[in-house]
Amino acid sequence: MLAPVLYIAVGLALLALLFLSLLRRTPGAEGSAQALLDARHAVRTLQTGLLPSELVERIFSKQDLKYVDSCGSKQIQHLFLAERKRIALSWVRRIYRQIVCLQDFHRGHSRHFARLNPAREIALALEFAALRLECRVLSLLLILRGPYGATRIAGRTAAYASRLCDVSENALSFLTPGGTAKVARDSAHDGAAT
Amino acid sequence: MPVPLGKLIYLAGLRDYNTGMYHHDGLASRYSEEAACEALADCHRQAFRDLLSSSLEETVQQLESYMTGLGTNPGEFFSTWNSLKPYQVAVPAGTDPLLAEFLSSNLKVALAILESRFQAHMPAERFASPRP
Repeated sequence: MLAPVLYIAVGLALLALLFLSLLRRTPGAEGSAQALLDARHAVRTLQTGLLPSELVERIFSKQDLKYVDSCGSKQIQHLFLAERKRIALSWVRRIYRQIVCLQDFHRGHSRHFARLNPAREIALALEFAALRLECRVLSLLLILRGPYGATRIAGRTAAYASRLCDVSENALSFLTPGGTAKVARDSAHDGAAT
Repeated sequence: MPVPLGKLIYLAGLRDYNTGMYHHDGLASRYSEEAACEALADCHRQAFRDLLSSSLEETVQQLESYMTGLGTNPGEFFSTWNSLKPYQVAVPAGTDPLLAEFLSSNLKVALAILESRFQAHMPAERFASPRP
């Protein structure tokens, strides 16, 4: 009785694997180009829009909180905290989305362009997973404790995201005008013409 | 010297909402239409950055300075700014949505603080917005 059940289970598992492999089609040239552009856009959004330290300091500024407290109006305090919570949550969600985009790029395409060894790729995958988890934890803390309940974690998340952003930027450096020269130099060592 | 908020509103007013181009006859006649447009766009972006990096207290001060500079009735000013939210359309083109949202949020709170301060210090009849 047990054997047929086992065979059916193995068969179903194989079917599921076949279905997954069909879903994971190799991206064509068009898809690759789009992934590169998306990743480049994500890096730029993170570097110029979401991660500059001045912006992080402004969003989580306790100076503003002190000022609002000194105004002595409960209604304004409530409005201020609600607004800052909304902005802080929006900030974390935007970072999360850009990080997912960069992770997708690394998972699917970066091995074609950057010289990453398997150990480095695994380490990078773990770092992306850790950052995504940290973003989730930070969102939860912001919801539960308000915009000033996790300022240290917010700073750490920004620093962590910034570091992964730099790694992605290096992987994408061949897209910048100076980067193409570097690729040409690197290729010349391997006897390839660019 | 106008405050960043005043500069932002003024420069946004020089922008054609259909084309996104900035127009200033004086500058265009002295230099060129393109150079004037580019310079005004740079100034607009700088004013946005300056206002965004201001603390909430500084934003309230800038809003008060801007409002008193206009010489309009405070009640009318608050009523118009609360309903039309002119600061939402005053952001430079290509601004990250989160930055625009953050500035809008700061100005919303600054407006509430200034309004409550005026309500507390001004007689009701002077503060009231004119009725049609």
